[in-house]
Amino acid sequence: MYKVAFRLFVVLFAFRSWAQSDTTITLQAITGLQFDLARFAVKPNQKVKILFKNEDDMAHNLVITQPDKRLLVVETVIKMGDKAQAVNYVPPMPEVLVASKILVPNTTETITFTAPATEGVYPYVCTYPGHGYVMYGAMYVTTKPLPLLATDPNIPPSRQTLERIPSSPHPFPLEYPLLYRTFMPDCSPAAIAVALSASHAYCFDAGKCYLRYAWRGGFVDNTDHWKGNGNALGKIQGTIYFKDNVTYPLRVGKADKLPEVDFKGYTLTNRLPTFRYAIDGVEVRETLKALPNDEGVSRTFVFSKPTTQTVYLVTQPTDGITYKSSVGKWQNGTLTLPKGTTKCVVTMQAPPVAHGAHHGH
Amino acid sequence: MNSPKSRGPHKRFLIVYFLVQLIISPLFAQRDTITNYYETEQIKLPKGLRAETGGMDFMPDGRLVACFHLGEVMTYNPKTKVWKKFAEGLHDPLGVAAISNTEILVMQRPELTRIKDTNNDGVADVYETVTDDFGMSGNYHEFAFGPLKDKDGNYFIALNVASNGAGIRPEIRGTYDSLSRDGRMYSCVPYRGWVMKYNVKTQKLEPYASGFRSPNGLGFDAKGRLYVSDNQGDWRGTSPLYHVEKDKFYGHVASLIWKKDFPRVKPLSLPVEQLDSMRTREAIAFPHTEIAHSVTQPLLDNTGGKFGPFTGQLFIGEMDYPRLVRLLMEEVGGQMQGACVAFGDGTGLLKGNNRLVFDKNGDLWIGHNDHGWVGDEGLSRIHWKGKVPLEIMAMNLTKEGFELTFSLPVDAKIAANPSLYKFQRYYYKYHRPYGSPKTDVADVAVREVTVSPDGKKVSFKLAELKAGYVYDLKMGELKTADGKLLMNRAIYYTLNKLK
Repeated sequence: MYKVAFRLFVVLFAFRSWAQSDTTITLQAITGLQFDLARFAVKPNQKVKILFKNEDDMAHNLVITQPDKRLLVVETVIKMGDKAQAVNYVPPMPEVLVASKILVPNTTETITFTAPATEGVYPYVCTYPGHGYVMYGAMYVTTKPLPLLATDPNIPPSRQTLERIPSSPHPFPLEYPLLYRTFMPDCSPAAIAVALSASHAYCFDAGKCYLRYAWRGGFVDNTDHWKGNGNALGKIQGTIYFKDNVTYPLRVGKADKLPEVDFKGYTLTNRLPTFRYAIDGVEVRETLKALPNDEGVSRTFVFSKPTTQTVYLVTQPTDGITYKSSVGKWQNGTLTLPKGTTKCVVTMQAPPVAHGAHHGH
Repeated sequence: MNSPKSRGPHKRFLIVYFLVQLIISPLFAQRDTITNYYETEQIKLPKGLRAETGGMDFMPDGRLVACFHLGEVMTYNPKTKVWKKFAEGLHDPLGVAAISNTEILVMQRPELTRIKDTNNDGVADVYETVTDDFGMSGNYHEFAFGPLKDKDGNYFIALNVASNGAGIRPEIRGTYDSLSRDGRMYSCVPYRGWVMKYNVKTQKLEPYASGFRSPNGLGFDAKGRLYVSDNQGDWRGTSPLYHVEKDKFYGHVASLIWKKDFPRVKPLSLPVEQLDSMRTREAIAFPHTEIAHSVTQPLLDNTGGKFGPFTGQLFIGEMDYPRLVRLLMEEVGGQMQGACVAFGDGTGLLKGNNRLVFDKNGDLWIGHNDHGWVGDEGLSRIHWKGKVPLEIMAMNLTKEGFELTFSLPVDAKIAANPSLYKFQRYYYKYHRPYGSPKTDVADVAVREVTVSPDGKKVSFKLAELKAGYVYDLKMGELKTADGKLLMNRAIYYTLNKLK
């Protein structure tokens, strides 16, 4: 028994040390001149295998350069003119650490190399002429935590919200805002999950006609829900920062009377949904937008006619959200909108995103 | 064990047999097959599409519009073979009806939705809830089917019951009632297990008919009669097709609790005889494994002969076999009943034949699905090559038996032989357990066979005819004088009423 346990220990230990010494990274060229991964980390001298897939509909390559040499390499390729194509747009220069061939769409190349011994930020870039100014990322060679994504200067500014862009399960690329009607937790079965961006989302209840909760850090994973007959719930990716614990927030006429609700659908403006519903016959259009730096959402309520009764928005003062409104008065967490209101913008400010010390993959 | 003596003749027989085979095999190479008449082509799909097809229709401009399990609505231009996104984000859409080149109706789990492209960029921007006036418990089995537009512009939809394979969610939509939670399939929120009619004038969803389990297929016949299919299961001895009329009850008991004036009793507590007397029987029972496992959408051949000789008949899809089924119905004693016969076997069709639609050229498009069960994914198109195969065009009940009508004259010498026809009858039990075995199976003797002078009709006098049975006819090799073979030699008649 002791012997068996010892052997098991040896095997596990060997496996562990092997797993620590090698790493495999899957990196994809995706639509919009970008890599799906904005950055990744490897350790000094680690054996690295990159499975580079071109999922885009144009040709790309992958070139890893010495620190701060991305633009030099990119511009050298442009200066080479017609001659660059013969060398896969990879100039013969010591600033290039490792490179793939030019991959046509739907092809894959595996690149294996040993990470540099010197810690640092090694850019990766597509050197196909014109691409390299925007299509790049950062390979961190380090054993330390990575800096905050939101302020990482080594990745494209457009990627400072999301480390990895999820691959699309559809016959078209994912674009944001993005909406799924699906089964969601803590919602009626008529749920709508909306991603304002790849890292900021909310759940609107189309059965009960109100915002149920909002979260940051990702969207929703429907993989299990879409398997077979659709029994599983969609999984929230990220952290919920707001949850409506009030039975129903909007009231007409009396602050303590729950209204009859009727869902009417939604319209999309540049993909952003505006929900249409009626509360006690009062027609409402509600649009949610992200506040700057994803510090919450703004909710714009538009009434189809100037209201003829007082409308109330009831919130829970202890829910951690700072509420402000363009119209009306707040008292004990309840907003009173006077008769004649046609539009009201309510901002819901949450504490800033708690950035954990992200490590690579 | 053969004795040594018998080996000699056997050997000689084998040699002769192989010689004969050698001589006649070229004849077999030209044997009449379905591919002489119909061909099936698989449509190339866009990259990244999981083609679990929930619905299909054609827009007026000839583009196919199809919806899929992951919520996409795509259009396909058959001329340019280009796929484009029209809408996305829907919840398990299982039916689509094209209204115009920029507007469609989609039945998704939570609602019937009108989807419009109002800024003409090719992608929908308005999603209007037409009706969500039915309950959802959150149980996965509460699928929603339709919409089917009638001549007055109203829409029929059909709502599945829930499965005891899963529970309900903490939050539901609609009024909860536990009265029919017992049993395999249950209805605990309003109108699960019902066919509903959306009245365009009142803009209200009206309960239309009850007693459904998994009604994955709605269609009209040439006279505008509504048909709805269902699946083998509890209260479904085998998969049926119902002629659906207002306020009638079609056998699955869970939905009865939502019927107006129905007493506050558990439907399962009622005697089966009483439930049986309340129900309307299926127009066609599809004998399980004989011809189908899970029938889907019925579709009228309204091509005016562009798809072959079957104009005015209904086709219906089938999930588990690579085939469709053709329906030959007639009115007997004021009720629809009739026969079903296979179609499309051997044309290269896949399984999972969930949705059917004809294009303007008379080609039949098939949307495949598996949805976690048996089936296939993708889209196919069946094209008629212009020649008429030998097929059964009608099976009519007579006072003493049946009369078959063929698409072409059959060789009377062959067809007049009674030993060519084997009739059997059986029924499927109406009861609570899942499915039913063939019950009271018996061979039925053929007393007389008559071939009409033009060779197009063969009639049978049978030893016995009983209502409430399926009459199962299997035939030998019938052919025309010029050697065309009968393509499908098994046919099943659901005899509810005698003549």
